[in-house]
Amino acid sequence: MTDKLKVQDHNELFHLEEYQVSREKKKEFEKGASPEKLAETKAYTCSDEYLKKNFGRKALTINPAKACQPLGALLAAVGFDGCMPYVHGSQGCAAYFRSHFIRHFKEPFAAVSDSMTEDSAVFGGQKNIIAGLKNAYGLYKPKIMAVSTTCMAEVIGDDLNAFIKNARKEGAVPDDLPIPFAHTPSFVGSHVTGYDNMMRGILFNLSQNVKVAETDNGKINIIPGFDGFTVGNIREIRRMLDMMGVDHIVLGDNSDALDTPQTGEYHMYNGGTSIEQVAQARNAKATFALLPDSADKSIAGLVKDDWGQIFESSTAPLGLAGTDKWLMKVSEIAGKPIPKALEDERGRALDAMTDSGYYLHGKRFAIYGDPSYVEALVDFYMEMGAEPAHIVVTNGSKRWGRALQKKLDETEFGRNAKVHHGADLWHLRSLMISEPVDFLVGSTHGKILAREMKVPLIRLSFPIFDRHHLHRYATFGYQGIINLLLWTVNTLLDDVDNKAGDFNLDFVR
Amino acid sequence: MNLSTLRELYKEPACSHNAAKKDAACPRPTPGKAAGGCSFDGAQITLVPITDAAHIVHGPAGCVGNTWNNRGALSSGPRMNRMAFTSDISNNDVVFGGEKKLYKAVREIIAKYSPPAVFVYQTCVTSMIGDDVNALCKAVREKTGTPVIPVDAPGFTGTKNFGNRLAGDALLRHVIGTAEPATPHPYNVNLIGEFNIAGELWGILPLLDRLDIRLICSLSGDARFGDIAKMHRADVNMMVCSRALLNVARRMKEKYGIPYFEGSFYGASNTGAALMKIARIIGNKALVSKAEALVNEETQRIAPELKSLKERLAGKKALLYTGGVKSWSIVGALQELGMKVIATGTKKSTEEDKARIKELMGDETVMISEGAPRKLLQVFHESGADVMLAGGRNQYTALKARIPFVDVNQERHTPYTGYDGHVRFGEAVAGAIESPALAIARRPCPFGEI
Repeated sequence: MTDKLKVQDHNELFHLEEYQVSREKKKEFEKGASPEKLAETKAYTCSDEYLKKNFGRKALTINPAKACQPLGALLAAVGFDGCMPYVHGSQGCAAYFRSHFIRHFKEPFAAVSDSMTEDSAVFGGQKNIIAGLKNAYGLYKPKIMAVSTTCMAEVIGDDLNAFIKNARKEGAVPDDLPIPFAHTPSFVGSHVTGYDNMMRGILFNLSQNVKVAETDNGKINIIPGFDGFTVGNIREIRRMLDMMGVDHIVLGDNSDALDTPQTGEYHMYNGGTSIEQVAQARNAKATFALLPDSADKSIAGLVKDDWGQIFESSTAPLGLAGTDKWLMKVSEIAGKPIPKALEDERGRALDAMTDSGYYLHGKRFAIYGDPSYVEALVDFYMEMGAEPAHIVVTNGSKRWGRALQKKLDETEFGRNAKVHHGADLWHLRSLMISEPVDFLVGSTHGKILAREMKVPLIRLSFPIFDRHHLHRYATFGYQGIINLLLWTVNTLLDDVDNKAGDFNLDFVR
Repeated sequence: MNLSTLRELYKEPACSHNAAKKDAACPRPTPGKAAGGCSFDGAQITLVPITDAAHIVHGPAGCVGNTWNNRGALSSGPRMNRMAFTSDISNNDVVFGGEKKLYKAVREIIAKYSPPAVFVYQTCVTSMIGDDVNALCKAVREKTGTPVIPVDAPGFTGTKNFGNRLAGDALLRHVIGTAEPATPHPYNVNLIGEFNIAGELWGILPLLDRLDIRLICSLSGDARFGDIAKMHRADVNMMVCSRALLNVARRMKEKYGIPYFEGSFYGASNTGAALMKIARIIGNKALVSKAEALVNEETQRIAPELKSLKERLAGKKALLYTGGVKSWSIVGALQELGMKVIATGTKKSTEEDKARIKELMGDETVMISEGAPRKLLQVFHESGADVMLAGGRNQYTALKARIPFVDVNQERHTPYTGYDGHVRFGEAVAGAIESPALAIARRPCPFGEI
């Protein structure tokens, strides 16, 4: 490729004479402000007065850090063998969700919609759902179809249960095809709520006719939760449980569906929890939810009340204390000791932590994302001596926010932290201006903010559209600690090198 | 939006989809199939590239979360359009109505950011609970003096294409013709349907500059709100690769007498043809010969690169699956590289597009009207194709099947327009076919040979 045909970065391009000329010509069309006015305005948006105004904002949300319920429902649904996620509502939603997952996981992602239109808004969505289930079943031959709703179907109050029954009556789908469903309007909760609702829907549907055994089968169930690192994390959890010899079932195991090997063929369905496994899960000894916010009420209710099992969701297996506690709980419930090999892994993780400690100790950071994940990450970074400053969680409840604040107030590294539940990334901007931090932790959506604040962004959340392969690594377990350190410390070191003058470009860090 | 207006828009007379049929003829999606975007999506695609305006989504936060910065429509200046504003409708608002919240939100945006305009997007939920964005926008406009444009395109109204049209309608109603250029200029052009993905507009601008043709507005790639308002002063409208905004061109012809034509900047010969057409429609002999000279010069300039690309690509076959009119224009570009296009997607194409494809590709052309992954792969293998060109949602399906892939939709990062763009396009196609990683992937696994 010759130099002149090289794809130039547009910043570079605009310095060429022809583009400068073009720009001058264009100016009259713009209602542009003067550079002085721009500077003045920018300074105002960085003032304390602006911060107050920004937090006084009630009706407007700017740059939210949450997604909607059906998106979460789809991630739960693809964890089941042969399951086609089905969106009852307007088609655009399904297209958006597919794009989101394809961009995050760099994998094909199948989901269908019954494309409700204004006619359905008036007459209800029954016609669409019957035709849709029939077509989707005929075209894609799923073993299960998991129906979630969009806002549209929820506003008109479609009765999914009745509609699905009628679809069976009309012969649109076979009688024995499981069609679990969940009500997932976007105007309530967020993607974690949607995951929770759909998981409950599927587990309830697939286990309702299972015979209840008198004694449990000794197995442990795992509900992974809405997690952008689901591929790496589920595999890591399974690996640790195998090492301990704990017989387990991952409910909604989407790790294979979202990470299919290159075989030269495209499979619409790949891996996942089977119907038989859910039947076994019904009689397991206990169920662990790895991320409590994805298993809030419904799963706890189903598993505890219906299934009558021990339900455990107090700790995410992330960071050293988190992983320790989680493993000990599993060990206690399953009655299996933690093997030496895992103790060695713990030692290696600890070694990594002490090696890297210098670069994180005393560093202040801001973080945003989903409640459980954020909480676990904050705990981990505090183990490294980093100090959380701003914790912004758009979908965090008041109760969760108060509890975390209380917990932080009592810790050495967290006592200067402030939890902002229900806030958005524009609030975070004001916070980061008034009290700057050393690094930012969150999804790709924080990219522009991190750039403006001249701090590195550690990508640890969902969605991550602009980096490859992260989801293939674990953030859970001792292995996860090493990965977290790898990304965080090396990103900070790159930042040091990028900002270093010639006199500070050391070979050793 | 009331039903009669909707129906009117469905019946776009200049759209050949509708020509043969009596009633609303835009294709409707089939329930239960994987479908593309909705009207809301289409409306945002059209309008969000207006870089200095604020865009607020009146609906649950999910609607903005799903669309936020999701297309690479680049800006050379303002980045107001990258802010995700939403009224974040919650359960209570669904019960009691969201208008008050929206009113406050729009007022807040105007007070805080003083944008030249605010676009307010209606969504499924707020439309169904009966929030009247039209009246609300009018009220805020009267109160503040800032143009507040209602975009009444909730997702359930129909397809993405239809959303483009609804957005165009909003501009025609509220924006186009509301301001005048400060200076006169002999030759003025609008590009309609150029979204500046990956900076593609910037591959075209210098060419227009060299002909001293003034671009009033690119609708809407790298556009400012003020550009749109002045669009009615163009001498010609070029529809760039998309009939989705046909209603804008047609109505501007009726209202302001501006002629329009459909052209493309993909491929050197398409680019040359488009430039010549602009020159012929708006200019005198001098401009036409100037354009001829430019086209010759540029064609000569890239000839050596094209020659070596043609050697690499000779006889190779391509499968194209992309929406609408891009099909025919990219077909041209591929053929110029000496390739054979064996099939193309026509899901969003009009009858006219299809005729054009036939003309370009001959009678053996396979037209794929539906993009189920399996069907695409089947056509690919049956036809012995060497490369697939499609959008991001098909990328990983293709790669799983070890098919060389080039993204020609909104996620592409390389601009393919104009002369240099054509060479880049050829490089991308050749590069995909020659990828060593794919070649390794195609070899059988060596285990068990020892």
